[in-house]
Amino acid sequence: MYTKGLKCRECGREYPKEPLYVCEYCFGPLEVNYDYSKIKKKLSKELIASRQKNLWRYRELLPIDGEPIAGLQSGFTPLVKANNLAKELGVKELYIKDDSVCHPTLSFKDRVVSVAISKSKEFGFDTVACASTGNLANSVASQAAQAKMNCFVFIPADLELGKVVASLIYAPKVVAVEGNYDEVNRLCTEIANKYKWAFVNINIRPYYAEGSKTYIYEIVEQLGWRAPDNIVVPVAGGSLISKIWKGLKELKMLGFIDEPNDTKGSTLELEHLRPSTKIYAAQAKGCSPVVTAIKENNEIIKPVKPKTIAKSLAIGNPADGYYAFKTVIESGGWAEDVTDEEIVEGIKLLARTEGIFTETAGGVTVAVTKKLIQQGRIKKDELTVISITGNGLKTQEAVSSKLDTIIKIKPNLNSFENEIKNIS
Amino acid sequence: MVKKKLVKKVVKLVFPQELIKEPVTFKMAKKYDIIPNIRRAKVTETTGELVLELEGEEKNIEKGIKYLIKLGVDVEPIEGDIVD
Repeated sequence: MYTKGLKCRECGREYPKEPLYVCEYCFGPLEVNYDYSKIKKKLSKELIASRQKNLWRYRELLPIDGEPIAGLQSGFTPLVKANNLAKELGVKELYIKDDSVCHPTLSFKDRVVSVAISKSKEFGFDTVACASTGNLANSVASQAAQAKMNCFVFIPADLELGKVVASLIYAPKVVAVEGNYDEVNRLCTEIANKYKWAFVNINIRPYYAEGSKTYIYEIVEQLGWRAPDNIVVPVAGGSLISKIWKGLKELKMLGFIDEPNDTKGSTLELEHLRPSTKIYAAQAKGCSPVVTAIKENNEIIKPVKPKTIAKSLAIGNPADGYYAFKTVIESGGWAEDVTDEEIVEGIKLLARTEGIFTETAGGVTVAVTKKLIQQGRIKKDELTVISITGNGLKTQEAVSSKLDTIIKIKPNLNSFENEIKNIS
Repeated sequence: MVKKKLVKKVVKLVFPQELIKEPVTFKMAKKYDIIPNIRRAKVTETTGELVLELEGEEKNIEKGIKYLIKLGVDVEPIEGDIVD
């Protein structure tokens, strides 16, 4: 209804609405091409406000034609005003966009998978698949079960069983591939190209990735239709950060955010729009190809072999790395990386100050925010949002050995009071 | 004579600075009888990136890719890392 088809992000060639992901001419990635003039006529802040609090309240800006069949309770996660953390870091206004409580599998992936599953059904697929060691697998398995679709999850054979339980519980077919990371990667691409399945982050990727935009739509709406001055975003494949930028441009184009030097209404071409938000990329030092590219001002992303506890960000060859680079440069933001120790400290800091237990990717964004404030890149009087994209209950091993020990006592009051004296 | 089956494979090559001036793609193509078709290219001061379609015998393409890797070129699938 509101989508015209697909368009190559490199050469601009247009394609029909089909499960395609790469331009057959330049091999550039394809992206959903919207009919913005039609959207502009229909969508208003009032219409959005009248809808249910889930990610589909922005449905005109999402690539489905019919009714959504997944994610009807996904999205609209809390935007927490983090006063304690702000005080600790020495800034005035700090917010946490908390997707660690996203329905149904406690990560931001529930947004993209909701769109992918709805679109896959629309295309007539009966089977969805993904290759994942964590959050993506959990979400695909869960939402495929609810949508009554067959589901295949591919994992490297050496992955610990404990990591698969949160996917296995939904009874997908889990296929353990005996090979290294690159071999699993290559095989899955071959399978996606051969089988008529909806491989969410391969042939459905252009549609799937659009779900990420709802993260920033919600932030802006929850701030009273105000764009933040800064947002710190974790970078794995580079899709979320570039879609946040696209989402902001769309809101600016629609005139939903008022900004200085506003050009609202004057163009439907997102390429020419420059929202005022500065976007900051956050990665772990053990896997920081995008941060390196930004610091070296080199738009070619050099692939790396990941070595970090932040497994959900361990993408050495990010598919959208160049677009992540471009987003940060265009927005006037910056990028930083942090060590594994800083990541753990970031997780603990957020838990201690705001009562939120995030996974390692959240430790990365908190630690990077701290660094950016110390560097003076994020100013004390600006409004900053930290992206929290996953739940700490899933990666407890990352912090379990770095926490305070338990106080053991005998079952009597004396024993308790002796220990209490030692503590105080 | 049995006609050998040709296959096509798309790859992204990332060249380190020291290899930008070397005709490594040509050498690989000649050595392993591969037809390279350049679809996209980008060169900065320190790095080069090339999106290529390779056509040749499957085992030759495998050998050609190994040859490039040995020289220090990063050979990556255009889809990027999809194990997420």
